[in-house]
Amino acid sequence: MNMLVSGGALLLASVAFFAFDLITFRANLVTNTSTQAQIIGSNAVSPLIFNDAKSAESTLSALRASQHITYAGVYTAARGFLAGYWRDQPSQPPPLPTSEETQHQFSYFGKGQFSLVQSIVFQGQPVGFVYIQSDLGAINDRFRSYGIILLIILIASLAAALTLSRISQRSVTRPILTLADTARFVSRQKDYSVRAPMPRERDEVAFLVDAFNEMLLEIETRDSALQESEEQFRTLADSIPQLAWMANADGDLTWYNHRWYEYTGTTPEQMAGWGWQSVQDPQILPAVLKKWRESLSKGEPFEMIFPLRAADGSFRKFLTLARPLRDHRGHVVRWFGTNTDITEQLLAEEALRQTEKLAATGRLAASIAHEINNPLEAVTNLVYLARKQPSKVDDYLKLADRELDRIAQITKNTLGFYRDSVSPTKVNISEVLEEVLALYARKLQFKKISLHSEYGAGIEIFGYPGEIRQVFANLIANAIEALPEQGSLAVRATAAKSRNGNDQPGVRITFLDTGSGIAPADRRKIFEPFYTTKKDVGTGLGLWLTQSLVEKHKGSLRLRSSVKPGKTWTAFSVFLPDHPPPDYEVSPVPKL
Amino acid sequence: MNGNHQNVGVPGLPLFSVSNLVPKDIDYTGEESDRLEGGKKPKIIVVDDEALIAETVVEILNQEGFAAISASSGASAIELAKVVHPAIILSDVIMPGLNGIEMGIKIREIVPTCKVILFSGQAATVDLLERARKQGYRFEILAKPIRPEHLIQVVRSSLPSH
Repeated sequence: MNMLVSGGALLLASVAFFAFDLITFRANLVTNTSTQAQIIGSNAVSPLIFNDAKSAESTLSALRASQHITYAGVYTAARGFLAGYWRDQPSQPPPLPTSEETQHQFSYFGKGQFSLVQSIVFQGQPVGFVYIQSDLGAINDRFRSYGIILLIILIASLAAALTLSRISQRSVTRPILTLADTARFVSRQKDYSVRAPMPRERDEVAFLVDAFNEMLLEIETRDSALQESEEQFRTLADSIPQLAWMANADGDLTWYNHRWYEYTGTTPEQMAGWGWQSVQDPQILPAVLKKWRESLSKGEPFEMIFPLRAADGSFRKFLTLARPLRDHRGHVVRWFGTNTDITEQLLAEEALRQTEKLAATGRLAASIAHEINNPLEAVTNLVYLARKQPSKVDDYLKLADRELDRIAQITKNTLGFYRDSVSPTKVNISEVLEEVLALYARKLQFKKISLHSEYGAGIEIFGYPGEIRQVFANLIANAIEALPEQGSLAVRATAAKSRNGNDQPGVRITFLDTGSGIAPADRRKIFEPFYTTKKDVGTGLGLWLTQSLVEKHKGSLRLRSSVKPGKTWTAFSVFLPDHPPPDYEVSPVPKL
Repeated sequence: MNGNHQNVGVPGLPLFSVSNLVPKDIDYTGEESDRLEGGKKPKIIVVDDEALIAETVVEILNQEGFAAISASSGASAIELAKVVHPAIILSDVIMPGLNGIEMGIKIREIVPTCKVILFSGQAATVDLLERARKQGYRFEILAKPIRPEHLIQVVRSSLPSH
């Protein structure tokens, strides 16, 4: 390229120079020839006047010095030939060319030659003409020598240009080309440890190379930091007991930790994308897919408990949590998820529930013992007295009979706690409340608690009577516990609709006590297992069990309370739906 | 279950109250009562919030030759003890207001020679007794229901003459 430009420029300059020289040379030729013609003309005046051909010839012979003049002739005013000069062989003198113009001189370029006619004037009168013919060998010679010179200059210039460009390439182009090669290598091999070689000279190119290398160093540092952090992440992800995974924004799972493959006994090929479906319980899979797609489309965290198949084909229950990772514009770029095996926890919770149910029953039995022992004491005494005083037998037996009825009533009520049906049956809410309140009547009386109850007779739902009884008993026992002497307890049951949005019909039972209230900080905690405020008597499982029994019935338990001084109260509201939903039978324990 | 145990009488049995529960043949007031202390009819106060129990026990004891009277609460028993100076207090433990143990401690302060016998139908009583023991009081306890023959035997063996 460089060569082409410099060669072209040089050529253009040569052509211009050549053209200029041609024009000048022609002008010079005309001038020179004209001068020679004038000299000859002035020297030929006397030969013309005296018609002296010999002198004219000798004058003409001076032209021998001018190599290019091929012929010169002196002609008379009447255009007759007087004398001639031939450079080569003398021949027939050519006739004098004529011109329409009445000029003293005229010239023209002909084929390979130049002709000039000069009139000779003496004392104002034309006395003859000089006619000179010159070949253009001078011009051709000149052209030839010029051409040679030009060619030499051109070649020399081009050679110089080539050398110069070689030198410049060495210092500019080569380092840039090397730089480009390095960049290509780095981007192809992803090897950020290579460096572009530094040119010898400290010029702009060196700065460029320097900046490029600095950039590489920066990328290399970041790359190794990134690799290290990724390494750390993977080590961490492989060392946790949970199964962990990553998915892209579309929900295709792109990575699983070691534990996942270990637990499921699968390979990365089987698990790629949506392959995880193969380790799901086919019956639960549709619900899982629905929820996962919902999370994906809304970009909301995913949380669900579902079973996953282990390598041996058994299923264990996992709590699965997934969170989206967003870019600076808020678009989800990736999902991170974990599956935590909660099988043992679920089993333990269920065992605890069963234990607490038994324990609650046991506690109830203890208080029932008192209820029974008192009338039993009275009956024992009355029988003794009847034996001793036969005259009063009827009176004593009547009293004993009344006490026995009392015992029968207590055992009947109490048995409700032990009997538990296997499937849900019709439960009369008001009857259950009546029975439970009867059991606690004595406790209420001890504390002089005024009871306000308000419930219709015909409120019925489907459920487990024993469990509903237990729910009421727990809430009433808590209320009595919380109440001071002469406090009041209100129990109300009304037909109601669920507040969870689907307006399910059911019954809402509210227990309101004027006890000391529950501080906001404790309101959530009281539903946790083992949380108790009465360390010496409580196990802290009562409300937790109550809550799970209510949830088993697909109902809800709501707590409101006030700790405002002088106006303290607590209200527990239980909502139980009329008809439990179809999956009612699904126990909270995983079916393994 | 009936609510108010304090004022309810038992049909077929004489209605007792603080004013009329004193048996006719004993003068519980003034010098006469002092003279009778340790006499042939040992005085017993029976305390139970269940009136039927208190009154049947009173009747059983009176048949056996004791001078027994009933009280329906710890507080009324203490009031009665101030006047009567009983040899024995027979009391239920779990009662509204003062429980049997608290009452027993108070009565021992008033009448140091008084024996306190408790009867209870509840397991929770054990804790209450343990607490009393730590305060230096030892009370005998009987489990409800008690056979009247056994009760009479226990009462007899608790009397100072034995």
